[in-house]
Amino acid sequence: MNVSLNEVEATAKRATRGAGYSWGLAEEAAKATRWLCAHGQNGTGALAQLLQLDLASTPKTHAPSDLSGEWQSENQLCPLVTGALLSDCAHRLNSSPISIRNVAVPALLLPFAANAARFLATCVSVDYDHALAETDGFDLSLDAPIPDRAHQVSVHLGGQLTAPAPHRTRAEPDPTDWTVLNRFAHRTYAPATEESRLRGAGAGLSDND
Amino acid sequence: MNLVSTDIPRRDPAQVMRLSRLGSLHQCRLSFMRQLTRRMARENWAFMRPVFEIDENGVGHAVYTAQGPDRAYSLVAFAHDLPPEQRSDRVIAEAWDATFALFDGIPTEQDIQRLSQNVPLQEAGRVSESELSLSRANRSVRLWKHVVDRLAAGQQPDLEQIHKVGYLMRTTAVYGSGKFGAADREKIANRPELHAPFQAEMLSVYLTRTFVRDLVQHMALAKGGMQTADLDPEIAQWLGIGNSTGLGMAPFIVNHPVLFNNWIMTREEALARVRSLQTASEDEARHFREIYDRSKLSMSWWRSEHPVQIEKLASLNADLAAINSYLDQNDLTQDHPWDRLIRWSETALGEEGQELLASLVLEPYGDLVDGLTGCMADGNAQAQVINGGMTVDQVRTAIQDRFGWALDLEWSAEANCARAWYVSEEKLEPRLGERFEEPIAEYEQPIAPARDAALAYADLENWQDDRSIAEFLLRHPEHRHTIRRAQIGLVAPYGELRDNTISAGVMPIDMLRAKLSFFGATHFDPRSDRWVRICMYAGAPYPEDLNAKTADLWVYPELSQ
Repeated sequence: MNVSLNEVEATAKRATRGAGYSWGLAEEAAKATRWLCAHGQNGTGALAQLLQLDLASTPKTHAPSDLSGEWQSENQLCPLVTGALLSDCAHRLNSSPISIRNVAVPALLLPFAANAARFLATCVSVDYDHALAETDGFDLSLDAPIPDRAHQVSVHLGGQLTAPAPHRTRAEPDPTDWTVLNRFAHRTYAPATEESRLRGAGAGLSDND
Repeated sequence: MNLVSTDIPRRDPAQVMRLSRLGSLHQCRLSFMRQLTRRMARENWAFMRPVFEIDENGVGHAVYTAQGPDRAYSLVAFAHDLPPEQRSDRVIAEAWDATFALFDGIPTEQDIQRLSQNVPLQEAGRVSESELSLSRANRSVRLWKHVVDRLAAGQQPDLEQIHKVGYLMRTTAVYGSGKFGAADREKIANRPELHAPFQAEMLSVYLTRTFVRDLVQHMALAKGGMQTADLDPEIAQWLGIGNSTGLGMAPFIVNHPVLFNNWIMTREEALARVRSLQTASEDEARHFREIYDRSKLSMSWWRSEHPVQIEKLASLNADLAAINSYLDQNDLTQDHPWDRLIRWSETALGEEGQELLASLVLEPYGDLVDGLTGCMADGNAQAQVINGGMTVDQVRTAIQDRFGWALDLEWSAEANCARAWYVSEEKLEPRLGERFEEPIAEYEQPIAPARDAALAYADLENWQDDRSIAEFLLRHPEHRHTIRRAQIGLVAPYGELRDNTISAGVMPIDMLRAKLSFFGATHFDPRSDRWVRICMYAGAPYPEDLNAKTADLWVYPELSQ
């Protein structure tokens, strides 16, 4: 199916919240998923894959435990938590690259590297195990598909943007992924009760006047 | 924002952003409807009705095209025969008297065919990147019947009845910005004619009004045949389009702090510019007095049965009496006349009257303030990105500046957190519930920035001043949305409500009115504390009468009428 990027963003936000993340991280996931789709990547697939890993139920074990040195944890890192941190720490890239170990669905780091690139007004490169992504915040260039899981990621300043991916104005989520996201999103909706139906919206049900 | 010398500063956000004041806002010349009609007249837009295929039962479709200098936009309208028991203005309705899409360009037969299978279903259908909005409307049953019956009998409708209701149909939702498959805002944001906020939606409603006028004539003719009267254009002019709005708009202004800031700040800048004028010409003073008198006539038609609104209208009427006598006794040409008027209003009037004057003093000064309308869109996506290098101390200060009033509030007290905003699984209708009476807390939406600011502030107090906010956020992801807002507040001083949105006494209609006033709505008629009916385009010229003379001041009725 063909959906607007606004629908991608709204669905991703609710889904991420439904999967147990904070509202702030759900907002990040929404923007990140939209950014990936706008750059021709399978953002909805990446988010659906991540949410099914259920990392939000044990958040501390999937967040970098220490910011000095390499970012890692006892388990695989969550790319939303790590990505948001990367974006928040953009200024650190001016002094040294950021190394990250063992990240789930690492495609989701890219939009945050793009935030950093825009913030620093320069190109940022993300080196995965066997793939290189470069972004200036507005365009994205990839030399190989990004793996589902990365053992080692290095984020540093610089890059060429050799073959920027064309921008997209629509997304075509895989129906299975879209169903997964909507299933998570549904958890944020309050069950319909007759009381809520009558009271919650503050209006009656008939409009015949 | 262009810099024009202003001796008088903009009003303090702490004064402006109170809900009771925002709930007293009136339309002004920066309003989105008036921006649109001025532009269409200035650019000499052409209007056509290439299709009107509606049967004697009022079922069928029509197309209305507006042709601007570079692009055309078409309203594709579907008319239905709706059984009364299905007529509801709630989001949970599933059928309507009429349904619409605004098409980007001129639709082909295939486009209309595709839309005919989707638009009547509204949320249950899908539109495409070729559509800019999706909407629906229901008849005002009483006025519709009155107008059809009168015309069919060869008579004109009673103007009194028209002023009482204001419209033949009211829209119950106008969806834009990528909803249900429509084009994203980004597709149109850089077009000059749609750059300002909600221009596609306002155009859709403008064309809807013409369709409704044509439809009522058509239905009268089907009933009355040869003896049917043609609706008098002077009367037709007073038919606006209603809108029935529920809670969806309240989260909107909380969720779009930069956009909302830009609306408020633009009006505040316009007001500061006018207040800074040392003198006014006789013409300018006369123009203001005339517009004031005309606005009183419009407000005299404003009715409501809601107790809160009855009280507000009484306060407004008392304010009008006070303004009358001020204007009788004071010159408006010398000694900073507008600043004097505004300062006097702050001592002598309620918020209704104060905000009415703040809107009206802009009227003589189109040259000075209309250019500001270019600042009302939100083009600052980067504002959403958190600056993690900011220190804990800096963020604490940012929170204190905007939410100082909220930090000492007893947030666990029932009265201060009695409500919770949530989304129902029933067609995703936004609702407001009682936290301590309904099982809704776990579904709460983040529409309580003040409470969340207080929670974040409490945790920040345990952190060293010079630590980076990035480190804090790694340990406290639950405060991430709040820290983002605090930073947005630094570039959007008017982006934050200075009131508790979950208190036992919160009036969501204040938030609705704030937004609707910027659309240019009039005749606010709350149906409850969270539901309001308004009128749009009443008095506006229809496409065939739209020109430089009629395009702007239509919202103020001519006194001779």
